[in-house]
Amino acid sequence: MENISAKPAAVLPANEAGYPFREMVRVYGSLGAFARSHIVIVWVILIALVWYFNPIRALPFPGEVLAAFRRMLGADGAQGMVYNVYVTLKLNIVGMLIASVISLVVAYLSVIPLFQPFNKIIQWLRYIPIVGFNLVFLTLFTIGWPMKVAMLTTGMSFFLVTSMTGVIDSIPRLKYELAKVLGYNDWHVFWSVVVRPTLPAMIDMVAQNAAMGWVMITAIETYNRTEGGIGSQIYAWSSTNNLPEVYAYLIVIGVIAVLEDWIFVLIKRVLFPYSLIAERA
Amino acid sequence: MENKANNNACAPGPLTGAAEMLEPLLKLENISREFPMNDGTTFVALKDLSLCIQNIKDKPQIVSLLGPSGSGKTTALRIIAGLDQPTAGQVLISNGGGDDMRRVRVGDVGVVFQRYPLFEDLTVLNNLVEPAVRAGMKKDEAKEKALRYLDEFNLVRQGMAWPVQLSGGQRQRVAILQQLMQDRHFIILDEPFSGLDPVNITNVINIINRIANEHTLNTFIIITHDVTSALTISDHVYLLGRERDAGGQPIPGSRVMKEYDLIAEGIAYHPDIEDLPRFAEIRKEIKLVEFPKL
Repeated sequence: MENISAKPAAVLPANEAGYPFREMVRVYGSLGAFARSHIVIVWVILIALVWYFNPIRALPFPGEVLAAFRRMLGADGAQGMVYNVYVTLKLNIVGMLIASVISLVVAYLSVIPLFQPFNKIIQWLRYIPIVGFNLVFLTLFTIGWPMKVAMLTTGMSFFLVTSMTGVIDSIPRLKYELAKVLGYNDWHVFWSVVVRPTLPAMIDMVAQNAAMGWVMITAIETYNRTEGGIGSQIYAWSSTNNLPEVYAYLIVIGVIAVLEDWIFVLIKRVLFPYSLIAERA
Repeated sequence: MENKANNNACAPGPLTGAAEMLEPLLKLENISREFPMNDGTTFVALKDLSLCIQNIKDKPQIVSLLGPSGSGKTTALRIIAGLDQPTAGQVLISNGGGDDMRRVRVGDVGVVFQRYPLFEDLTVLNNLVEPAVRAGMKKDEAKEKALRYLDEFNLVRQGMAWPVQLSGGQRQRVAILQQLMQDRHFIILDEPFSGLDPVNITNVINIINRIANEHTLNTFIIITHDVTSALTISDHVYLLGRERDAGGQPIPGSRVMKEYDLIAEGIAYHPDIEDLPRFAEIRKEIKLVEFPKL
């Protein structure tokens, strides 16, 4: 007994030695900080090994991608990575903001019967590829930045409206009835039941559709290559079989996507703290 | 005890041995509610449901609609609250005094729903303040009143909490207080004893009694299938159910099958009501004789 009590507190008992690793494979288990960091390490090692030893020769080696990064970061102007990432990021943020505002308005108006058919039409349009509207956009906007923003905004809105309307449709009838029996008028019901409580979920919808936005951006920039951007660069490097450069840009997109996800969580945490408490409850 | 089946009028005057009954406050007149079914038939939930809640002089009022599952209690609740329209009949509510009555509108009657919905994006305090402000109360007054209620119901510490952080019992109390903030005289509680252990049932009964006694204008309508709790808390119990035909088959459409006037029975408002022999007799009668027939 004396030996056991003399052990340092940090040392796990023998039967608990593998505890953090057992946490990782438990169904619906909660993770401590130690297990969480180990999961990340396990996956980083796994991905590195798969990448390095992968049998698909089309996939460039990590060293080649690093070299491509160095080349593109060193290049100036339209060939440089910094410039192209800036162009695409600007398009992504502007497009996402405009699409979010338009989609919120269209989605929230769906609680008013008069606007429901319009909402349905917008939702159906998501099945039509955005490039199918090229001629329409060419007629309405000048080629380049205005057309790219219009295409991205329109394309994202089709999906955002669908997701956001889904959020509104899932509001339980009981919530409307609670407001009604409390004597709320239509405007109060709209604000207190439809708009205000769903804002955190709307942020989630924007976050989810931001990924869709990146898929669209690369397609849109392929059609509008005059100003550069990640999409036009991926197209250009792919057509000349320079895969390390392509993968370097894909990694950049991945990093930006992770950062965007983190920013969305931060916005929710600051503006709607209850939503994160509710998610954890 | 008085059989009130098919009765559609308020009692004309004080019942024998009862407290002094004043003007009618809420009347259900021949309410019927039918729902179309997928196979083209019609489901009759309520048929000629009539009852009358009268003001009782200097007494709080707690009325229970008691019935087994499927007896149309929730349908009746929705119609009384104005959330649903009857297929036939009407619900009338007192229009400020005397015998002047008008059709009930949504918002006239407060409802504490079974799952205690609250505004999840508002703190507990704001769940009480916002509806009161929307109803026309000044914000300072509403806040003061809300804090007083929270204090009275041991919820001060939860004032700044989010609804998701409350226990079931705390949530129920907040939901009741939210309706009380409105200063309306009718509050319906939908199955307030459902899923509670005996200790918590007693707590809920005490809370309802306390609120009803604080202000004799408050009238609680309790929708429940819990016979003991309904008899413990109420001054009138209306038994909801379906009549049977000669072959013993239920006739579609629930109505008031029996009314128990517990004031006339001499057991309402009694502090140790559950110890009274008459209480046990009525409970036995409902459980063993009336419920199986409904």
